[in-house]
Amino acid sequence: MPAPRDLTRAMLTFGGVLRASGLPVTTPEVMDAVRALEAVDVMDRDEVYLGLRTVLVSRMEELPAFDRCFENFWRFQAAEGQELDGLVPNVPPSLAGEEHGGESPPSAAEKQAQIALDDWEGGEATDDEPVEVPGLSDREVLMEQDFSTFPAEQLDEVARLTVLIAKRLARRISRRRKPTRKGGVIDLRRSMRANLMKGEIIELRRRARRRRKVRLVLLCDVSGSMDLYSRFLLQFLYALQNVFGRVETFTFATRLTRVTELLRGPSYKGALRRLTEVRDWSGGTRIGEAIREFNQSWGHLVDRRTIVLILSDGWDTGEPEVLAQEMLTLKRRAGRVLWLNPLLGNPSYEPLTRGMAAALPLIDHFAAAHNLSSLRELATHLTLR
Amino acid sequence: MRAEIKKIQEMMETADYVTDPAIAMSVHLAMTLKKPLLIEGHAGVGKTEIAKVMARMLGTSLIRLQCYEGLDAAQALYEWNYPKQLLHIKLEEGSTHSTSEKEAAIFSPPFLIRRPLLQAISQPGAPPVLLIDEIDRADEEFEAFLLEVLSDFQVTIPEIGTIKATQPPYVILTSNRVRELSDALRRRCLYMWIDFPGFEKEVRIVTRKVPGVNERLAREISRFMETVRTIRLAKVPGVAETLDWAQALSSLHADHLDEDLVAETLGCVVKDADDVKRLKRELASGGIGRFVAAQS
Repeated sequence: MPAPRDLTRAMLTFGGVLRASGLPVTTPEVMDAVRALEAVDVMDRDEVYLGLRTVLVSRMEELPAFDRCFENFWRFQAAEGQELDGLVPNVPPSLAGEEHGGESPPSAAEKQAQIALDDWEGGEATDDEPVEVPGLSDREVLMEQDFSTFPAEQLDEVARLTVLIAKRLARRISRRRKPTRKGGVIDLRRSMRANLMKGEIIELRRRARRRRKVRLVLLCDVSGSMDLYSRFLLQFLYALQNVFGRVETFTFATRLTRVTELLRGPSYKGALRRLTEVRDWSGGTRIGEAIREFNQSWGHLVDRRTIVLILSDGWDTGEPEVLAQEMLTLKRRAGRVLWLNPLLGNPSYEPLTRGMAAALPLIDHFAAAHNLSSLRELATHLTLR
Repeated sequence: MRAEIKKIQEMMETADYVTDPAIAMSVHLAMTLKKPLLIEGHAGVGKTEIAKVMARMLGTSLIRLQCYEGLDAAQALYEWNYPKQLLHIKLEEGSTHSTSEKEAAIFSPPFLIRRPLLQAISQPGAPPVLLIDEIDRADEEFEAFLLEVLSDFQVTIPEIGTIKATQPPYVILTSNRVRELSDALRRRCLYMWIDFPGFEKEVRIVTRKVPGVNERLAREISRFMETVRTIRLAKVPGVAETLDWAQALSSLHADHLDEDLVAETLGCVVKDADDVKRLKRELASGGIGRFVAAQS
């Protein structure tokens, strides 16, 4: 069994390994981990694992990363019989911090996700969409029709409806910001003090409840695979931004672009023209890297009063580990993270792309965005609770 | 396994709480390291129960603070008893006491209402278990305030002075993840995620808690629940639902599941109109066999 001093040093290194994998482990926690090891049987691998996990993990999403690091870092020399040598770091402690920075070898689950991707035949089935439902008004039909199947002559009507829905959504959000009660709650404590000598309460002191303001951050995928949808979604974003003030909008394909300013203005056509000047609307998507860039440069826009809305089909050519790590960072900061996926409108779609599978556990709400009624449904989720 | 951990596990089982090594470990560390334990998990997996069992194990009292939106220090920590103060002021009218004497009188301990946090800090004798339930329902401002209390277990009441806990209470926080908790709070706590129980554990829970259910039915119920939880539902049923259902089946004297019985009692399993519809559809398409057939 290693001497306590070595154990402390090994723990510090392990803390560094965890930090490199995105777990914000603090020094006091590492010290607690050392104390925890004193309270468990260090010869028992499961016990050490459970003990360290209890101290060093602080949210469910960190568990897979912790398991990976634990697996790689701690080697248990399980000789025959009772001769267990206790726990020994897998790598020389001095090297571990650097060696393990950033990436870790893919786990079984990730390999599985990769296999799943290979099995998945791309391309959404657009041919089995309902074309005409007798008895419904034209408008109802439009509501349910997949964006990718609209003929050119209906586009204007669809655009109009998109704006209508965005407006309704925005109204809903702003209504929530109004104070609930006029004049706030009576503050008895201060009333009592103020009226102490009068013997009766004459003057009531009140205190208002702080208002909750919600901010929206929109991240829209404009890569090639989203072409059929991004046209409508951008219109939706444009409308949303112009009727509701506290919105920041970004587009991404291979890199991230802030388009908040570009979307401002009275005409969508003008906004669209400005957008085409900056677009890198083709090629693959590197969602993980786009979100990393967002976290690094624009992270300050996100707090617990912020709802982050990602619109993407999850076709990611980047590393799923990067996406998972950046989603975790984003989730930690944001009040809510919603992901709208146009492919989800297809009943046979399963979120099996590697990127989507990595991001899924870190999303508060995963919904479709392939037709007008799915945008309308969004209303129930655009709240912090 | 450490004797202490084994003992905790045994004591929890004796207290009718079906546990596993992970839960026993968290409780053990919370008691040895004297750090708050944050328990997260879906609704109805038995988070709150842990605090209750812990209090029973330690032979100490359980003080519970149920959080809700708008909860503030006055509700959580202390408040002055205003009606009593008012009465006192009335009674003192015409007395010769000076203002400062009057003030000292009404801002003294007899006029103080101790709310759960203050109770937990000022309780004489063995430290109690303080359960801060559903912390995710409280506002962020409250979370920050709580952090302060949890870090030094002392409270300053301007009119009385500082009250410091001689022995800090054992603290259990639970969260359903309605809202993300701050990193600061998470870092301060030990952490445990309780997932839905695995098949074997759920069978044990059912047979332990609902004695009227035989082994076969318990296994069928647990298998059914396991399958139901893989369906995308608005509200995934927890262990509480399993137990409700087992209780219902037991009072119907059922000894195995069949289609009619499931259809009649589905309301115990899912409690959302859309979920009921969805589950019925799944049942109609795959039949009951799909839900109770052994999967491995």
